[in-house]
Amino acid sequence: MDELRKSYHLDLDHARTELALLAARVVEIIPRATAVLLDGDLEGADLLIRGDAEIDAHSVEVEEHCVQILARQAPVASDLRVVLALLKMIAEIERSADLAANICKASRRIYGHDLDPKLRGIIARMGEQAGAIFAAAIEAFQENDAAKAAALDDMDAYLDALQKQFVAAIFESQAAGRIDLQVAVQLAMVARFYERIGDHGVNMGERVLYIVTGKVPDHSKPKRMKIEIGDNLEAVPVVGEAEDS
Amino acid sequence: MSADAAGATQPPYVFSTTDVAVYYGDFRAVRDVNLQIRQHEITAFIGPSGCGKSTMLRCFNRMNDLIPSARVEGAVEYHGVNLYDPQVNAVEVRRRIGMVFQKANPFPKSIYDNVAYGPKLSGVKKKDELDDIVERSLKRAALWDEVKDRLKSSGLGLSGGQQQRLCIARAVAVDPEVLLMDEPCSALDPIATARIEDLMQEIKDEYTIVIVTHNMQQAARVSDRVAFFTTEVNTESDRRTGVLVEYDLTGKIFSTPGDDRTEAYVTGRFG
Repeated sequence: MDELRKSYHLDLDHARTELALLAARVVEIIPRATAVLLDGDLEGADLLIRGDAEIDAHSVEVEEHCVQILARQAPVASDLRVVLALLKMIAEIERSADLAANICKASRRIYGHDLDPKLRGIIARMGEQAGAIFAAAIEAFQENDAAKAAALDDMDAYLDALQKQFVAAIFESQAAGRIDLQVAVQLAMVARFYERIGDHGVNMGERVLYIVTGKVPDHSKPKRMKIEIGDNLEAVPVVGEAEDS
Repeated sequence: MSADAAGATQPPYVFSTTDVAVYYGDFRAVRDVNLQIRQHEITAFIGPSGCGKSTMLRCFNRMNDLIPSARVEGAVEYHGVNLYDPQVNAVEVRRRIGMVFQKANPFPKSIYDNVAYGPKLSGVKKKDELDDIVERSLKRAALWDEVKDRLKSSGLGLSGGQQQRLCIARAVAVDPEVLLMDEPCSALDPIATARIEDLMQEIKDEYTIVIVTHNMQQAARVSDRVAFFTTEVNTESDRRTGVLVEYDLTGKIFSTPGDDRTEAYVTGRFG
């Protein structure tokens, strides 16, 4: 059978590609934000914070593209689900970029304060995990891979556990007098920023599932894995220790 | 939810078909159609040309009888009565189950006489009674205000959209239960189309409507349920037959269709 409405479908594919490129920028800036934080790189922080405006502008462009498709092509079925998912995912990506910029802002505030190796190790691990979640979300989107999208929740459970571990380490470090209270507060916020990036990645995965299966995310059920790992900090290897063994 | 509670939310069936196949000579136009049309709903039949949707529509008021080579197999029940039972009077069937065609086809008579024609045939003679029927029918067809001052003018002098509404008025004048509409808007401009669509929504509380449309957005806009038909080609004989692929709530068909063939058709990935 011949495909009809080819230019419309190409346009839809183009909007998908634009979203993937937008998400790719976030995948790229997460490790850069982590490096800025760990290296106290003020110049890098400034660059990333200013770059956020570009991502915001790009987000608006993708959104406008989706509005044009809705207005002119009246998409239905999987096409409709793609456009609706794109509109939701734009917001997740844009917010995640803001959070990466927030990490850079926090790194300015704690500039000049040394962090002990344990804290540095967990920060590195949180950055890696948040980036991995985001990268997996966008791969699932590009490949319409429901299994990969479904795995994001468990990846996020690991990030949540790291965050809890990090908060415990902050208390420890602050109690031992190695960091100020102000620094401790900033670091706790940084942990929260990574954790939120992970959540946005999970939300993107839910939208991929919506595209593939048509099922709307159900937030009424508790997330089993999160509770299991989240309450059992021992289950998560401490960064550094795991590498030594 | 109990079965009773579930049943309470569903309107009763007006039509129920079982394994319906329609032949024109030895050509099988459509096969294995099993579906139920619910009361006071608008059901849309969609699908590519030659999929059997108009053929199926014509089964519901035995219009296929008028084609000498046509033959219907299986059961078409109207309120539990087999429409094709020899005891059933086809003229009475068509009075209860009216039809509106693709091309507006008013009689070459006055607007008044077009609407009064059916009631007169069925024995209404009193002028004031006929006047009432004409006014009520034209009002139901949302045409009264436009023609009330020229009821004696020819129906053929109306615009295309008005002619189609006149045909709807003519169809409802005999007080049918069902209106079958075979692409009623395909010759109309968007405004006339919107008028007919509004009209369908306004009268669906009184009638059960089945519409065949080539305009998928129209099906999405007006219908409660959609039946998607397509053609299957027998690889051995190379003959085409229409089949019912999917029948579901309109919202489901246009957001998450259950069959890949429906998905391909509504998104325009198949033609």
